[in-house]
Amino acid sequence: MWSLKQNLIAVILINKLLNEAQKAVSKADDLKDLDGVRVHYLGKKGELTALLKGVSKLPKEDRPVMGDAINQAKVDIQKLIENRKDELEDIALKKRLLDEQVDVTLPGRDVENGGLHPITQTLNHIESIFTKGGFEVELGPEIEDDFHNFSALNIPEYHPARAMHDTFYFDDWHVLRTHTSPVQIRTLEKQKPPVKMIAPGRVYRCDSDITHTPMFHQVEGLVVDKEVTFAQLKGLLVDFLRTYFEKEDLKVRFRPSYFPFTEPSAEADIGCVICEGEGCRVCKKTGWLEVLGCGVVNPNVLKAVDLDPEEYSGLAFGMGVERLAMLRYGVNDLRLFFENDIRFLNQF
Amino acid sequence: MNISTSWLREWSDPKVSDIDLAEKLTMSGLEVDKIGPVAPDFEGIVVGEVVSCEKHPNADKLSLCTVDIGKGSNLQIICGAPNVHKGLKVAVATVGAVLPNNFKIKRAKLRGVESVGMICSESEIGLSDEHEGIMELDSSAPLGENLRNFLDLDENIIELDLTPNRGDCFSVLGVAREVCAIYDLVLPKREYRAKVTGKRTFSSTISSPKACPKYLTRVIEGIDTAAKTPQWMAQRLLRASQQLHSPVVDITNYVLLELGQPMHAFDLNKINGDINVRMAKNGEKIELLNEQTVTLRDDTLVISDQHSAIAIAGVMGGIATATHDDSTEILLESAFFDPIAISGVARSYSLHTESSLRFERGVDYELTHRAMERATELVLEICGGKASEINQCVDTSSLPTIEQINITSEKISRVLGFELDPAWIESKFKSLHFDTISHGNSSWTIDPPSFRFDVRLQADLIEELVRLYGYDKVPVHSLSSSVNISSAKQTQITSHDISHSLVNRGYQEVITYSFISNEYHDLIDPNSEKITLKNPISDDMSIMRSSLWPGLLQTVQTNQRRGHTNARFFESGLCFRGVSVDQQEQKIAGVICGQRYDLQWGSTERNVDFFDVKSDVESLLNLSAQSYRFGAAEHPALQVGQTASISKQDKIIGWMGALSPVIQKKLSLPSVFLFELIQSDIQDKEISTFKPFSAYQASHRDIAVVVGKDVKADQLINSINSLKQNCLIDVKLFDVYEGEHIEKNKKSIALNLIYQSSEITLTDEQLNQQVGEVVAHLVSKFSAKLRE
Repeated sequence: MWSLKQNLIAVILINKLLNEAQKAVSKADDLKDLDGVRVHYLGKKGELTALLKGVSKLPKEDRPVMGDAINQAKVDIQKLIENRKDELEDIALKKRLLDEQVDVTLPGRDVENGGLHPITQTLNHIESIFTKGGFEVELGPEIEDDFHNFSALNIPEYHPARAMHDTFYFDDWHVLRTHTSPVQIRTLEKQKPPVKMIAPGRVYRCDSDITHTPMFHQVEGLVVDKEVTFAQLKGLLVDFLRTYFEKEDLKVRFRPSYFPFTEPSAEADIGCVICEGEGCRVCKKTGWLEVLGCGVVNPNVLKAVDLDPEEYSGLAFGMGVERLAMLRYGVNDLRLFFENDIRFLNQF
Repeated sequence: MNISTSWLREWSDPKVSDIDLAEKLTMSGLEVDKIGPVAPDFEGIVVGEVVSCEKHPNADKLSLCTVDIGKGSNLQIICGAPNVHKGLKVAVATVGAVLPNNFKIKRAKLRGVESVGMICSESEIGLSDEHEGIMELDSSAPLGENLRNFLDLDENIIELDLTPNRGDCFSVLGVAREVCAIYDLVLPKREYRAKVTGKRTFSSTISSPKACPKYLTRVIEGIDTAAKTPQWMAQRLLRASQQLHSPVVDITNYVLLELGQPMHAFDLNKINGDINVRMAKNGEKIELLNEQTVTLRDDTLVISDQHSAIAIAGVMGGIATATHDDSTEILLESAFFDPIAISGVARSYSLHTESSLRFERGVDYELTHRAMERATELVLEICGGKASEINQCVDTSSLPTIEQINITSEKISRVLGFELDPAWIESKFKSLHFDTISHGNSSWTIDPPSFRFDVRLQADLIEELVRLYGYDKVPVHSLSSSVNISSAKQTQITSHDISHSLVNRGYQEVITYSFISNEYHDLIDPNSEKITLKNPISDDMSIMRSSLWPGLLQTVQTNQRRGHTNARFFESGLCFRGVSVDQQEQKIAGVICGQRYDLQWGSTERNVDFFDVKSDVESLLNLSAQSYRFGAAEHPALQVGQTASISKQDKIIGWMGALSPVIQKKLSLPSVFLFELIQSDIQDKEISTFKPFSAYQASHRDIAVVVGKDVKADQLINSINSLKQNCLIDVKLFDVYEGEHIEKNKKSIALNLIYQSSEITLTDEQLNQQVGEVVAHLVSKFSAKLRE
């Protein structure tokens, strides 16, 4: 028979257990210890389990009260353990984070530092502008024949322009192309108009000094269709130059010039991008920089590829890539492009 | 060509500043390279006369001069120039004068004697580099006159950069014609007719009328040998960058600059017999005015006397018949030579003259007579003498013919894209001296003048109009052309893809010259044909490359010398097997050397090797999803045993390997690895077709076999694949080992066999049976031993 006294002892006992458990829980330093505490109090042979077993021996009317009290204690201890578990996990995580800290400023492993040559980057930029406008990219041979490099372009044998080209020869018929213009002829030989193409590539002149290298790059452009006009040529190139230099208000000026394969011919100047027209060494104090040559295709060129100049007309243009690259990147010596010093190439 | 504005304005004088005039010339097609005053800034310099000149009491080389500058009291000036003497007119910088570079003239004492001012040399006032002595002014110079006014030093010199089509503008007259057309001015008509008082005749003949359709000569006797080139003429010549010679030569040069007709003056007494214009005989020699002796070819037109060539026609006269200050009888020549006959001739003899420059581009064939009269007039005026009648040889049928051109305003606007006013068009044709017949008001027949060799087509006329209209006023239209879908192909890898793939693997692109040295060609690709330039810049750049390796190796050398020992470079470009189009191939090549990675904290240092470059090649080849084969091979540039040929189907499309140690030593290079591929052979891309994958698990079985050292990895794998086991889906080689526990001349190779069926999960029994078959095959084929 349990008495009130016995009940009281039981309650004290539960409280004592709770206190002890609380201490044990807070003393547990890791999850393993904590699990030991759980077994000790809540396990099959644990102290609370033993108490609970004793409840069945109580008078029927006392059982619910005692049962509730013990269960409450069980819940409380469980809660204590859960909390402690969270705490321990938190500590463990913090420790891990501390352990796993790295110096994020250290460089990545096995970094590859490749790059494209600045001339290629310039060519790619020019190409992408024109291909977005529906131009095809055409390539031609670098060892050309006299017909494609000269005569078909309205530069007959005794033309003074030939002397100005400083041509490299292999024999009486084969030369290193002096410009990318022969690709105009090759394209028109294989393709009927409408033609809209650009031809980037290497060209060669027998000239070598501070401002000339015997090899350099040009981009040629050609549009042949039924009704193309000089005014459209102007529009096309103004658009191109403003896009290339990413400058909406870039000043562009067209001046009469002469190329045997275009008539009328023009040279396009842009407002100096270095001094903004104030006058500097680069623009020789004129405020203008010559950047490309262009014109309406000479009817003789169309005839050379069996096109009727009364039916078709053409626009052509050509630009020096090194010049555009020098202006774009502020390179002051042309020869640097072909020295291939890694300290130079790495900068682009 | 340099031209002084005062000379130009004597012919056409628009009411605009010199600067504006120059700008307008540029914008109309005659590009002005430079415009600037004759003399730099200076002030306070006047004309003076040395009225007395004595030796300085305390210095041998100095003179004590009294100079009259027209101001009443004379100045005492000490002068160190050797040419100072009494009566000389000189340029005097008075006290307070400012010379170029802000040099101020003050009173000074020289060796104890006061000097009030300075007598100037040309270099001191920036007129030339001449500093041998003081300037000697013309005796007519008015005392006290400001030197800038007296010598016209404030006028500008225009430097024109003429395009090859505008030979007609190589003269004051030509530029003046342009100025008149631009500003709608009327060019003054100037006719010249020299008085004929001489009787002496001289005859000439033309043997090559095609090359020389017109040849005029005139004898002038009794030249005054004391005559001097007048100041005004000398000044104009000098300002046109023309050197001074004898008065007769100066006059011919003056006419050349003024009218554009090159002329020549022979000393009549040095010519043997008559003149004949003919082609030179091969090997014939002539000593030219510049004292250069040339051996002539038979494509060269010469002026010849009875004995020998006395001038290269249109290029330069011979020294033997040249006029000098003491020549009293001269023969003036004024001719028209065909541009084609003259073109390239001067250049072929390494000559370049004012005359050849003009004849090559075309001289007005109707100018010959006029220029002769003008020159004669000047000779008679300056040197005196008696001129005979002009002797004229003309082959009219060989003179250039100028065809009429028909044009309509409709055609003009079709080319330009906008309309020009027909009345304006007609007025411009006329101002350009084009004979114009108008049909209605928008159609014309044009007869270009004899000096416009460049106007032959409608397009030429349109250019004339639009340049005078002003390119800046041409409207800006957008291109209205048909839309075309660009030909992007998925079955084609672009060169951009290839370059980017290498860049992502750490390669830096380079661009090297396409011509290389003989040495490099012989070292790297001795078996390919040598494509040699006839006129290379230097021997180092005389052979067209057949491989990209020479350029890449040179790049490595350059960078090594500058202390950059790690390299990963690539280049893409044409290589040459011959001169025809199909012998020019695009290749892509790379070179690596030094450490695999630049010095870093994260991994250990190691040098690059064969398999580094191979992985780069494989990653390139993988872009195309096609199969390629690497085979042990030999290449003259590569190290035996570390050389692979790369083939697709049975064609070799590239090479890779270690640079041969012999070449390495010759070029003082470190150990480098190279690859090169024919670009078009790796650009076709296989489009993948989807294959369903099996739902059953794949099983992996590893085996290790010991085989002879010479057994190649791909032999083993190909051989296993040749068994055509149904469920074997892949064989991976994952280890190669030689050394301890392995017999000498043997190696152990570990393979991972992957089996998978699309129908069932394979049982151990089935797997063991299949692996057993593989092992048995290797044992029998390669005498392999299974390693436990």
